[in-house]
Amino acid sequence: MEGQSRLRIEKLNVYFGQNQVLKNINLTIPEKKITVVIGPSGCGKTTLLKSLNRLLDEQEGVRVEGRVLVDGQDIYQPDIDVTQIRKRMGLLSQKPQVLPMSIYDNVAFGPRLLGVKARQELDELVEKYLQLAGLWDEVKHRLSEPASRLSIGQQQRLCLARGLAVEPEIILGDEPTSALDPQSSRNVELQLLSLKQDYTIILVTHILRQARRLADYVAFLYFGELIEFGPAPEVLTVPQDPRTRAYITGEIS
Amino acid sequence: MKNAQPKIDALHLKRRQRKESFFKLLMAASAFVVLGCLGLILVTILWKSLPALKLSMITRMPGSGYYLGKEGGILNAIVGSLQLILGATFLALFVALPAVVFLHSYLQKKSFLAETIRFSLDVLWGIPSIVYGAFGFLIMITFKMRASLLAGILTVAMVELPILSRAMDETIKLVPEELKEATYSLGANRWQTTTRVILRQVFPGLVTAVLMAMGRGLGDAASVLFTAGYTDKITTSLFQPVATLPLAIFFQLNSPFPEVQQRAFASAAILTLLILIISLISRSLSRRLSRHKIL
Repeated sequence: MEGQSRLRIEKLNVYFGQNQVLKNINLTIPEKKITVVIGPSGCGKTTLLKSLNRLLDEQEGVRVEGRVLVDGQDIYQPDIDVTQIRKRMGLLSQKPQVLPMSIYDNVAFGPRLLGVKARQELDELVEKYLQLAGLWDEVKHRLSEPASRLSIGQQQRLCLARGLAVEPEIILGDEPTSALDPQSSRNVELQLLSLKQDYTIILVTHILRQARRLADYVAFLYFGELIEFGPAPEVLTVPQDPRTRAYITGEIS
Repeated sequence: MKNAQPKIDALHLKRRQRKESFFKLLMAASAFVVLGCLGLILVTILWKSLPALKLSMITRMPGSGYYLGKEGGILNAIVGSLQLILGATFLALFVALPAVVFLHSYLQKKSFLAETIRFSLDVLWGIPSIVYGAFGFLIMITFKMRASLLAGILTVAMVELPILSRAMDETIKLVPEELKEATYSLGANRWQTTTRVILRQVFPGLVTAVLMAMGRGLGDAASVLFTAGYTDKITTSLFQPVATLPLAIFFQLNSPFPEVQQRAFASAAILTLLILIISLISRSLSRRLSRHKIL
């Protein structure tokens, strides 16, 4: 596992003002697997996710210590171009956040940022990534419609397509199904399962059943500390730490 | 004793309902005062201006003896006001938009500089326009300028700047943080995020802000009193004086001749109509431009 990983977190501490939100996190994310981060609300799951693509930079009063290594390179080095880091990690947020433009332009947004201008090339990319996100058949006749007219489940898959279109290596999901109805959630989950052949996926969730359905590896966070990390069957059925056990059996939430 | 509780509840409920009815009535009355004010102003202006409302008011310029009650119109002031307002709004926008984008995309929300800029804009907004007029006049004297379209444009732009900036500021504030994050996470930098996503999202709001500032500038008399001057011709150069509708009203209202006073009200009706048209355009534009806006 160590040899295959390209994303490593070392001694990561994150502070919001005086408040320490993440405490000395050390974690190696397995390549082309789904790693699910579980833990009670406010335990730092989202912060951990946002620290990986430096979205924390956009929040005020945040201090980050430690290293996040992507292919051995620390993304918190001052000379790193933050946009390049973010491009390598597609983000799915809790509530699907479509851009205020057409369905087509949403997917083409990333490629255009990268300088793709030829209409035919864009057409191909838009189709390819909408297919990959399992949305093409539903929207192929209405690509010029505002993205906001899609149903919320379709919007989330559009966000997935848009994120994939910048050709990231890693997909970050911050409870990406929490705003969706069960059928749409299922669709997004199926897409994630099929995508793990090509992508490393890190998923934050508070739904244990979802963790069971998707996870290859599970990390349990509690009050900003990484309590336990390991293959999903082990952590979810025979957890080593009593706190993990308490969380999984529903004693703490 | 058992029945006492429901009785109290019923009494309490009645009192609550009565209280609500009372406040509802009070609020409805306030809303009618608002409507009534607008209605009263419009009716008064129209009624007073009716004898003078002829097509020639908007198609002709003041002839000789116009201010003594003879033939003519106020085309000079209509055109002048439009020249002035377009110039001033363009100039104000040219400063306000970059300032607001800087405020949002490059400064931290609660930073000292951001707070200071916002506070300054609020103070500028509160300064009466006569003070801007006096300030513009002082600048003119310093640079030995005459009252002119240019001086008017500069002064009205100063009046519009805080209105425009703060209105745009409030609009951009409503952009959800998650939308910015979504854009950043696609690898967009701040400039790209601002120009390609945020401004697109707030575009309808920006148009409304521009038209609001235009409406305010169009009706302002005090700022142009010393700076723009007045002329009975249509201005063809930035360095000539320019006629404006508020001053046309002011001068005609001061006249001892009833015919001219009626024309002052006709001019007021025309000015009000212009502002009404701007408001309607602003509404329809912002509705049409909201097609892609996310909620």
